[in-house]
Amino acid sequence: MNAALLTEEQNEALQEIANIGMGRAGRSIAGVFDEFVELSVPRVREARLDSLTEAVAGLIPEETLTAVRQGFFGRVRGEVIVVFGMNGCRDLAGLMGYGDSLVAADEDELLLDVANVIVSACLGGIAEQLSTELSVSAPSVLASHVPPAGLFGATREAPDGSGALIVEVNFRLERHSFACSLLMMLPADGVGAIRQALDDFLASF
Amino acid sequence: MALSVLVVDDSPMARKMLIKSLPPDWDIDIRQAGNGHEALAAYREGRADVIFLDLNMPGLDGYGVLETLQREDLNCFVIVVSADVQPQARERVMQMGAIAFVQKPVDAAKLEPVLREYGVVV
Repeated sequence: MNAALLTEEQNEALQEIANIGMGRAGRSIAGVFDEFVELSVPRVREARLDSLTEAVAGLIPEETLTAVRQGFFGRVRGEVIVVFGMNGCRDLAGLMGYGDSLVAADEDELLLDVANVIVSACLGGIAEQLSTELSVSAPSVLASHVPPAGLFGATREAPDGSGALIVEVNFRLERHSFACSLLMMLPADGVGAIRQALDDFLASF
Repeated sequence: MALSVLVVDDSPMARKMLIKSLPPDWDIDIRQAGNGHEALAAYREGRADVIFLDLNMPGLDGYGVLETLQREDLNCFVIVVSADVQPQARERVMQMGAIAFVQKPVDAAKLEPVLREYGVVV
């Protein structure tokens, strides 16, 4: 077991900051779908990229998943991956008026849009807490209609497999089966920056 | 006599931030709870005139606490403090008897008007 990347206090601060980001994201998607969004308690943990598959399978118990990725950079940098269960997505398509006629291209488009709304709101909330600004890259599809094991395949370039920090958040539409998970991955070589940002945050109150 | 204030949040950091945002000259006795069950236990011991309540918590969440308090003849001021900023979240808790909904991150400027309005701080 590696030495902890964050102190207990830094970890708590990151969790609370993520909580605020998640709240913003929840409000944004609630606005898009006009539905109440149930939010999970965010979790921060140190994880290796290869254990992500297991984590995702636990968060979204569906056989077929699609994932969208977006990079962010600024004072802290990393990548956000939003994972959608495909059963819930059909429900989402219905909600958005696509009916049964949703073709693959539209589906990707829809998920990219939803991911973008979630990620922008979430990172906006986080940046505000850290008194900084974060730029977000355009979303792209990381994997489409794959089993959990196929999400983080060999083609994917890992930020750094040896001990990234992962912040997990779950969203669920109250009266629908739609759910998605947001995984914020902070690469190991960027942990110094996040530590400093968290210390500044802690010193500010 | 000092007022009993109960701060309920699963995040120790959030509890700390909230306690630091309380009026410094307020004569209170502060207790903390990390989940809904602990919160209700403290309330039943008569240790909560004012409750600052988080919504999303593992185990019994803030909505569960409000529901139970309503059933048990709510006899305290509940101020919900949450990162869930959906308008519906606010409507729900206000219907369940909360006197106010304060958005996280909390600070003194957000809390003071609420506390004054209800006369818990003069």
